[in-house]
Amino acid sequence: MNILIEWFGLDPDQFNEVAMNMVAKDLSLVWILALVVAPLALWFFWTSLKRIQSPIRKIFLIALRALTFAVLVFMLLKPELEFKKSHTLKNSIAVLLDDTKSMSIKTFPSETPRIEFVRRTFEKNRNMLESLKEKFQVDYYFASSQINPTSHAELGNRYRPKKAVTDLENTFSQLRKRYEGKSLQGVMLFSDGADLAMEPETVSPEMLALLADWEGPVHTFQAGSNEMFMDLAIEELDSADFGFIHQPVRLTVTISASNMGNKNIPLVLKEGDTILLSRIVEVREGQNQYPVEMEFTPGALGKRIYTLTVPHFAGESVATNNRRDFQVKVIRDRIRVLHLNGRPAWDSRFLREVLANHPKVDLLSFFILRTMGDDVASPTSELSLIPFPTNLLFSDYLNSFDLIVFQNFSYEPFIDKKYLRNINNYVKQGGAFMMVGGELSFQGGGYERTAIEAILPVQLERTSQPFIGESFHLQRGKSLLRHPILQLEKESSANAKAWQDLPELNGVNAGLKPRKNAHVLAEFDKGNKNYPVLVAGRVGEGRSIVMATDSAWNWNFRRVGEGGSGRHYYKLWNNLIAWLTDDPATRLLQLETDKERYEEGEDTLLRIRVLQEDYNPSIGIEVNLTIKSREGEEITETIKTDNNGEAAHQWTPQREGFYTVKVKVDVDGDKREADVGFSVFSETAEFQKPKVNETLLKRIAEVSGGRYEVLTEKTDLSAIKFPNPKVEVKTHSKSISLWDNWWTYGLILTFLFLDWFTRRKSGLS
Amino acid sequence: MRTLSNAIFIVSLLGSVIFPTASDADYSSLSIPQVKYQGGQPNPHPTAVSSLLGQVARRTSIEVNREPLQIKLSDPNLYRYPFIYLAGNEKFESFSQEELHRLRNYLSFGGFLLIDDNSAKANSKFDTSVREMINQLFPQIPLQKISRDHSIFRSFYLINRVTGRKQINPYMEGIKIKGRTVLIYSTNDFGGAWARDNLGQWSHDIIGGGSRQRQLTIRLGVNIIMYALTLDYKKDMVHLPIILERLRRSHSR
Repeated sequence: MNILIEWFGLDPDQFNEVAMNMVAKDLSLVWILALVVAPLALWFFWTSLKRIQSPIRKIFLIALRALTFAVLVFMLLKPELEFKKSHTLKNSIAVLLDDTKSMSIKTFPSETPRIEFVRRTFEKNRNMLESLKEKFQVDYYFASSQINPTSHAELGNRYRPKKAVTDLENTFSQLRKRYEGKSLQGVMLFSDGADLAMEPETVSPEMLALLADWEGPVHTFQAGSNEMFMDLAIEELDSADFGFIHQPVRLTVTISASNMGNKNIPLVLKEGDTILLSRIVEVREGQNQYPVEMEFTPGALGKRIYTLTVPHFAGESVATNNRRDFQVKVIRDRIRVLHLNGRPAWDSRFLREVLANHPKVDLLSFFILRTMGDDVASPTSELSLIPFPTNLLFSDYLNSFDLIVFQNFSYEPFIDKKYLRNINNYVKQGGAFMMVGGELSFQGGGYERTAIEAILPVQLERTSQPFIGESFHLQRGKSLLRHPILQLEKESSANAKAWQDLPELNGVNAGLKPRKNAHVLAEFDKGNKNYPVLVAGRVGEGRSIVMATDSAWNWNFRRVGEGGSGRHYYKLWNNLIAWLTDDPATRLLQLETDKERYEEGEDTLLRIRVLQEDYNPSIGIEVNLTIKSREGEEITETIKTDNNGEAAHQWTPQREGFYTVKVKVDVDGDKREADVGFSVFSETAEFQKPKVNETLLKRIAEVSGGRYEVLTEKTDLSAIKFPNPKVEVKTHSKSISLWDNWWTYGLILTFLFLDWFTRRKSGLS
Repeated sequence: MRTLSNAIFIVSLLGSVIFPTASDADYSSLSIPQVKYQGGQPNPHPTAVSSLLGQVARRTSIEVNREPLQIKLSDPNLYRYPFIYLAGNEKFESFSQEELHRLRNYLSFGGFLLIDDNSAKANSKFDTSVREMINQLFPQIPLQKISRDHSIFRSFYLINRVTGRKQINPYMEGIKIKGRTVLIYSTNDFGGAWARDNLGQWSHDIIGGGSRQRQLTIRLGVNIIMYALTLDYKKDMVHLPIILERLRRSHSR
């Protein structure tokens, strides 16, 4: 071989193998030549050489032509000599070590964590594993829902049960991808088989298909066992992330119990230290899972954190799965509005359309269709009128409303004066009230010196003419141009134009004096006298607004008649409803987190916005921020607002749990507070299905032709075998063409020349 | 000539007193202007609307302005009055495209039109003109009979039949846009049953019925106005049990 290598001028040290390859891709021409053309050519040669008498010459010529033909076929096959260098490769063995949290679960009676069985096996079989390296390339991986390479030497320091999820199907898929084109001759899997993606006692068809055509055996080594495994767990909890205030929230819970005996176990739902709900789960021998349906009704808005617990019994393998914390963001499903109209009129009709068509409003409206003085000329049975349910509205259900609107409504004789006190209390405790003008509002409705006057942002003065039927153009309060109620457009110049383009109003309630802290958002500037028309104020925890005209509908229907649209009328009412119902965007101190929930180790971002009473930004205000964990850990920071009245704080929680952020600001003596909650989750799903999955590990070994074994103190790995076929790998090669050269072409030409010369000598042309 | 011009001046002055222009009105109270049009007789019962509004004021809490008003569809003050009344008993000229466009917008964005055929004849010339006008107004939305469970029949009185000065059809027709009935057309001469003379006596006898029929027509008028002002309020859940119970008792009698 060396002679041949040298013949072609190559270095014999660089190559240790030679092979001839035919590189022609399409051999059909060769076959046609060999099977069809060759017999025809032979026949032609024979007949064309008839005139040559000498049989020697005749045979010589035929031989020449046969040789030419053979060289031609040789060229068509495109032969090449390949000189190559190759060596034998070691086959690979992958060792997978389950490092998920479930490997920390103890096995009884020795109380040995599952991971410890693996460590001891490695310690005991150190020599065997070292010797395995001589024959195989042994690669070590940590296995969870993915594989992470490691080494035998690193196991002592890095092998910890900390990963969140076991997903063996994904692990094997990744392994296959990693060894594509390589010779993986076997796998050793050390795991408890507690695969979250697999149902107990079953193996997914995808997993079985993956293992069925696995190249080498997968030997499975079970860490831990279910013997004497005792555990009570909240295995699954299904709850919505959002809930509606005063509406039931449904929880679907699965309790699992292993070797717990016969017990009646209380399942308790708490918010903080308050028990909201309790159910008794009757745990019985022979039954592992107990589905429980629960319902509770959130009573407050915001991010609420709830805890579901079952008792922790002595001897349980896992303590953490006896408790599940979860968060529900409680929001308003609908804004419940009570709308009382003193008489049917266009203003009330257009407002009813706004409220009835508002996607978030649940409207209950009443029109006073007749008064005591009206003569309906008909018996009651022929009327559609119903009695006004005063007691129900203003006693029983008052607190279920988010907003009460009195529109051109005189309370007498429909509402007893004692109920006005109820409305007063309702607003002071966080409710919302609005009085819309007209002849029957304010003094016209007899509200002077009543509990209603006390919650209005205006005082009712004695006046001889409580309602003035003049037309006027409304002027916005110059110092309150940023107030959210007045924002009909986002951009300030567009907003100014929108207000300018609104049609004039007709009729205003007179004798209204704004209270000290009230905001006069818009007024009728008559020159010598100003009439407040749109006034907003805070009353205790609640909010109150006065609109002292019954002609706001002009901004809808009349605006259409002028070629515009009712868009700004709708927008104004949406703004009024948002402000009255304390929409977060209308608050003077706004606090929010960038996410609802964070993963362990993730940065949290807190954003704070501080506004002045007139909704201009509060610049350079000190914000005292306290972050508190449920365990009582507390962090306090002081930050300052920027030119936009905004401040931000980034913080990384050190561990899982629920946190409360409270901010306090003092804006010119006005002390404000806001709080928000967020949760930091560490994935504990591994403890929801903590049992060892023998079935899975056995099936993996069985399908792949491997061996299943439960790890003990005495486990000996030396009996484990792997196939070790010889695998050669080419490192480099050089190909030399045997047909594409002058030698081959010259040979054909020589044969043809000899043929011609012999025929000439024989007297042929 | 001077005498003649003085006479014309006095008549026109009287006309303006009797039918002031729309811009003079009080917008807080309910006013129902009558639509002026070309050709035909746009106001066969001049006191009909005023008389009905008088009944509305007497029977309900609605504040009304009884001053008779007339308005053209092209009048810039049209949108101050979300309720207008179109009546007649003769063929009338078609409205211009601009007027139709204005009326279409008016009805689509909150207005209400009551059309009343005062001819007391089936298939009258007024009826033909009205249907042509409505075809041009809403070519895609045909007039449809108003069903008995419509809020109009329960907005104030519980009503189970459609009457008028003469019952030509036992139903009213209407056009609904986005769930709101914006136009009602009656062929039964409501105005004839509502109208009174200067002495307060009924202007016209009821044909084929007595005072009960007149009362029912007045009730229907009250309900139509109440519907325009409160829409489907009487279909709110809070009203349903009582209304349904009364209707049940009424039917069982």
